[in-house]
Amino acid sequence: MSADLLQAVADVGKGKGTRSLLRVVILCLIAGAAIASRLFSVIRFESIIHEFDPWFNFRATKYLVANGFYNFWDWFDDRTWHPLGRVTGGTLYPGLMVTSGVIYHALRALNIPVDIRNICVLLAPAFSGLTAFASYLLTNEMTTTPSAGLLAAIFMGIAPGYISRSVAGSYDNEAIAIFLLVFTFYLWIKALKQGSMLWGAMCALFYGYMVASWGGYAFITCLLPLHSFVLICMGRYSTRLYVAYTTWYALGTLASMQIPFVGFLPVKTSEHMPALGIFGFLQLLGFLDYVRSAIPGRQFQTFLWLFAGGIFGVGLGGLVLATSLGFIAPWSGRFYSLWDTGYAKIHIPIIASVSEHQPTAWPAFFFDLNMLIWLFPAGVYLCFQQLADEHVFIVVYALFGSYFAGVMVRLMLTLTPVVCVAAAMAMSSLFDTYLVAKAPKPEDHVADEASEGAAKKAAKTGLKSTSRPVVGVYSYFAKGTIVSGLTLYLLLFVLHCTWVTSNAYSSPSVVLASKMPDGSQHIIDDYREAYQWLRQNTADDAKIMSWWDYGYQIGGMADRPTLVDNNTWNNTHIATVGKAMSSREEVSYPIMRQHEVDYVLVVFGGLLGYSGDDINKFLWMVRIAEGIWPDEVKERDFFTPRGEYRVDGEASEAMKNSLMYKMSYYNYNMLFPPGQAQDRVRGVRLPEVGPTLSTLDEAFTSENWIIRIFKVKDLDRFGRDHGQAMAFERGIKKKAPRKKGPRTLRVD
Amino acid sequence: MRTSAVFAAALSLVSFAAANSPVSQTYPPPQVWKNANLVHIISAEKNYVKENINVLIENIAKQPQDEYFLPFTTDQLARLGGVEVKDRKDAKAGPFVAEIVEVDPKRNTQYLRIQLPTPLKPGAQQTIGISYYLLDAYKPLPATINIEDPQFLSYSFSAYCPSAYTTSKQKTEVKFAFSNIPDYTRLPGSGDVAEFPVKQGAKLTYGPFDEKAAGAVEPVQVRFEFNRPVNHVADLERDVEVSHWGGNVAFEERYTWIQGGANLTNHFSRVKYQHFRLPTWHILREMRFPLRVGSSDPYYTDVIGNISTSHFRSNKREALLEIKPRYPLFGGWKFPFTIGWNSDAQNFLRKTATGGYVLNVPFLEGPRQAEGVEYEHVQVRVILPEGAENVKYTTTIPSSSIVSAKVVIHKTFLDSVGRTSLVIKARNLVDDFRDRELVVSYDYPLTASLRKPIVVIASSMAFFAGIWLLGNLNLQFSK
Repeated sequence: MSADLLQAVADVGKGKGTRSLLRVVILCLIAGAAIASRLFSVIRFESIIHEFDPWFNFRATKYLVANGFYNFWDWFDDRTWHPLGRVTGGTLYPGLMVTSGVIYHALRALNIPVDIRNICVLLAPAFSGLTAFASYLLTNEMTTTPSAGLLAAIFMGIAPGYISRSVAGSYDNEAIAIFLLVFTFYLWIKALKQGSMLWGAMCALFYGYMVASWGGYAFITCLLPLHSFVLICMGRYSTRLYVAYTTWYALGTLASMQIPFVGFLPVKTSEHMPALGIFGFLQLLGFLDYVRSAIPGRQFQTFLWLFAGGIFGVGLGGLVLATSLGFIAPWSGRFYSLWDTGYAKIHIPIIASVSEHQPTAWPAFFFDLNMLIWLFPAGVYLCFQQLADEHVFIVVYALFGSYFAGVMVRLMLTLTPVVCVAAAMAMSSLFDTYLVAKAPKPEDHVADEASEGAAKKAAKTGLKSTSRPVVGVYSYFAKGTIVSGLTLYLLLFVLHCTWVTSNAYSSPSVVLASKMPDGSQHIIDDYREAYQWLRQNTADDAKIMSWWDYGYQIGGMADRPTLVDNNTWNNTHIATVGKAMSSREEVSYPIMRQHEVDYVLVVFGGLLGYSGDDINKFLWMVRIAEGIWPDEVKERDFFTPRGEYRVDGEASEAMKNSLMYKMSYYNYNMLFPPGQAQDRVRGVRLPEVGPTLSTLDEAFTSENWIIRIFKVKDLDRFGRDHGQAMAFERGIKKKAPRKKGPRTLRVD
Repeated sequence: MRTSAVFAAALSLVSFAAANSPVSQTYPPPQVWKNANLVHIISAEKNYVKENINVLIENIAKQPQDEYFLPFTTDQLARLGGVEVKDRKDAKAGPFVAEIVEVDPKRNTQYLRIQLPTPLKPGAQQTIGISYYLLDAYKPLPATINIEDPQFLSYSFSAYCPSAYTTSKQKTEVKFAFSNIPDYTRLPGSGDVAEFPVKQGAKLTYGPFDEKAAGAVEPVQVRFEFNRPVNHVADLERDVEVSHWGGNVAFEERYTWIQGGANLTNHFSRVKYQHFRLPTWHILREMRFPLRVGSSDPYYTDVIGNISTSHFRSNKREALLEIKPRYPLFGGWKFPFTIGWNSDAQNFLRKTATGGYVLNVPFLEGPRQAEGVEYEHVQVRVILPEGAENVKYTTTIPSSSIVSAKVVIHKTFLDSVGRTSLVIKARNLVDDFRDRELVVSYDYPLTASLRKPIVVIASSMAFFAGIWLLGNLNLQFSK
């Protein structure tokens, strides 16, 4: 009876039509799950753009939608990096904005007036659905099992490693780039397998899209030549490889050069040289292949080695020469930091100051990938068993992806697709082995053993493991245990992904949530309170000085010009702001006047215990300023003699006199009974007398004191410096005690 | 009713009776009236001025007269709104037609022409009550104050009520919200009063004065405590969207809110703000919108997203939306925001016996504040379903406040021909008008209501058919 039922259920999936229908339905459900799991923040908070960089992308998208593509292309933004400005149109990856712009206009054409903000917020989840589909396609190229693709799709859909960069509101380049990455790889495998120019051209097309979208395109630029190189070294050069690679490289490079920000980089920088080198090398091999068909074998061998070795040597020598002469730019700092994790900290503090550029901690792998991380090696091992061209790709990708993910936290993102693919292969192979109701017949086994002798001879050609025949599992108990174990793991995986997404990756960081005593949610909205205040109640061209972290948010929400922002293209300018923040008022004031600063914005978490505030970031400002003015700003001065970083009464003189310290704690002690002022982030009691400011006025402080805005005073009317003016004003009030002082003889 | 306009379904501009009717008028108006007795009540209790002129008029000409003129300066005219004229003796007579006639745009004095429903015979008398509002009426004095200081405003007016005719007897009363009135212009008294004005609590009375000639003015200024915010809405856009399929009426209001009180001398100090708590304060901290019962799903946003500081209390008796601005509003500070809510269509929409529909919504639904709210520009847009035709409207808002009204096409959510929408622009309104009605009647044939489902289904079928055809196309080279 139950067997009949099982049979009936199994038969449902037998017909080809039913199967493809089922597959489409499952893929749609996976895409739905991928989208739904990214909506935590929209449901909990609202449809809002998250964090920092997305605010710039959002602002750029609004500019594109409002002014059209050509104006966007030529956009010179004078509201950032005051007074330098930024050639924004030529220094961004336009793919993301153009994608949302196209969607926006398409919907408008259908008379569906969706707000551009909602398109931007939901773009990443929508593309994650496509990414799941792309990884399904990619996995299907790797294995003949149909279930592996579906497993890869669902893994990709909900793996936290990818969700971390693609929740709703995380409107960043990665939102579409990961889809493009996986899809480009799929097209590459397809082109390579078929040796098809059409697929190669498609691959180049999506590669071009990828270049237009994310700086991480260099990963593809390096991985595809590497894959080809490994194939060549394995003696697997073929016309398929030649066709696929040359089509991709020629068209793809041309496409990538259309992006102004990339321009001539593909022929000028070291990152792109492997691709060019392999392109040349393939031409050479193609030529040799032709020659081999023309001249006899033995002479050919000698010719080959001399010729190939010579050309390779000349090519490498030429590369080194061109680099040293400056025709080709050497590796940039960011790339050095990929090889030496300590490099950035010493040489480029601005890169090291970003938390996502730190090396990955071990638990992060488990946190972001859960059980996939231990299925991943098994999947790679399975690739070794078959080791066709496409499996080599997975192996190479796995190696490089793992290395880069270990070096930089944010590159976990590029590792995730290959982990999902490999883990899905491992998982599906386990299921294929154990989820078979039918026990293998003993005769088959005997026949297998008989043929083993013959197989041994054949084994010499391939790897040992590939020659062993598949037998099967007899015991229902073993099957049941394994299958239920795996199912349990899968369910735990879903639980883990949901938990991680919900707790770690769904906070907009613009809005903070806290709980009221009765358990209801209370929203702390200080950022937007202050930004909206700036937007509505200051002059349209009031320049705001703040640490660069908040540059994009001020541009996006407050719509005011800023001195520095998250683009960080000009280290000196950032160091100038760092110097102004970390120096005495007498030093800072001329800097602010020179840069026409009207308002200074600081983030202060002391009242609320919000740890991501400027005092905690302060040492980076000092370090970056020290990098440019080592004589004027010294990191050592900000520590106590015992080497502690303190903000209370024991704080060093440089610390107490710095503009940042004064702005953060200005008037703060008045909020408490005398002597009770408490900094809840640092957990210290502050001195009874708070700092005084002479060159700035407090202009606005948000409800929970997170954002404090100060207005830069105009020059004194009587030509005094502000310190004197303030002392004079205080002096008037204290006239009486002054007279009581001992009389002194005037000595000239 | 008074203001009624008939529209064709397509675009049609309606020229209003007000403002631009050509009149050949002598300047100044002929002395055909005498003000036998006049009481001028200036109410400065809120952040706009409401003036009431109750006047007993007498025809001193030889012929019956039906036009009475009231002078305004051009400066006042720009800020004048909500003019209503009634017969004081006969409440049922309804509001009279009153409109501004522009005789000579270069002159400083312009006239409001009041049309009496029945001409008055020579020697006959009638009591009329003229009420109007002046926006932007005060100047803070001192212009800048500290957070903890009380706010004082000053208002300038004429102790003699401006009139185009001789006035036999008159007095002017000024009412305030607080009794603290430190400064006011003093005038020599008459009769048994030694000095004008007479102060009684929060009220000043100038007069009674004896006969004054036409056009006589006596400028006076009062400075009074007004420790409340001065709420000025520079722009209000109000959308009312009717959905027959959804059985829903959606409201959305976009405010450009400016606090017009005294600015801060020093900048805003959070410490001071947190320490001082006064019973009345010149800072706007909360707005309360009493919505119609049955309102639901309110939202409160601004240009950078949702504002979480709001509270909606909704039950069978009330639907009160309490919102706080992102930051407390001090004088000179600006805060644009958007609120919106839904309501069941049956609360506002009725089907008539002839098959048409009648929509009855409030013209204005701003917040109810103790200190009042003034609206400089108001645009009400009633978006009717796609295909609605034969749109007519009437409103109880004074006709002189309505600037224009037209029917336009508004295309949104999958529309094929666009929705008929009625756009009414008004100016210089105050929150006293918040429950005035706007009645819109229109026809909505069944075919129009079926258009959208048919269009959407047909086009998506066509899309899928197209995809299916493309999928069946064989693009491969034959092997």
